[in-house]
Amino acid sequence: MKNKLKVYRAMHSLTQEQLADKIGVTRQTIIAIESDKYLPSLGLAFKMAKLFKVAIEDIFIYEKKGAEDED
Amino acid sequence: MDRKKYKKLRVVVTFFVGAIVTLAVVRNSYLLATAGVLTGMVFMILVRAKAKIRTDEREKTIQEKAANLTYAIFAPTLGIGAFLLLLPSKGGISVFRNGEWLYIESLGMVFAYLTLFLIVVYAISYNFLNRKYGGGGSEE
Repeated sequence: MKNKLKVYRAMHSLTQEQLADKIGVTRQTIIAIESDKYLPSLGLAFKMAKLFKVAIEDIFIYEKKGAEDED
Repeated sequence: MDRKKYKKLRVVVTFFVGAIVTLAVVRNSYLLATAGVLTGMVFMILVRAKAKIRTDEREKTIQEKAANLTYAIFAPTLGIGAFLLLLPSKGGISVFRNGEWLYIESLGMVFAYLTLFLIVVYAISYNFLNRKYGGGGSEE
């Protein structure tokens, strides 16, 4: 699973800390998501999509290969 | 208070509680040990509540995986430990015949019951959580 969180964050001129505050997580979680080390829950993904006013699949891109291993 | 300060404070409190417990062991005082641990716990709960330290889903995931790993390591270790401690006494090894080393068998029994307790708690909590998250299997 890839994501464009960093791109959308830059587009909205948000720092990692600001984004974390807005969606109610820690900055470490934002760092982990941006570096593809952690997959957010559906609820958190919806919060991000709502914040950036886009669809979830605009931020998160599902890649079939190796997706099962990313647990 | 930010997260870094909170973590530093947590380390300080942990050392403080450790020192109190060490002192309690040296002085052979259960009361001091209990008071030290309880004070540390209450202090950290109050600080956490006041500082509004956020625990997000990533941390919960980490906690879940750490708990799972702890169980996966601790239960077999304890079980094997109990088995190894109980085996010689049942095997009729001479050193156990005179009643010496009896505490080894007692320790083995304690380990065995602890293993049992751990497995029972795991099974109960698993069933409870399975039902809570809709794994009852009653729906068609």
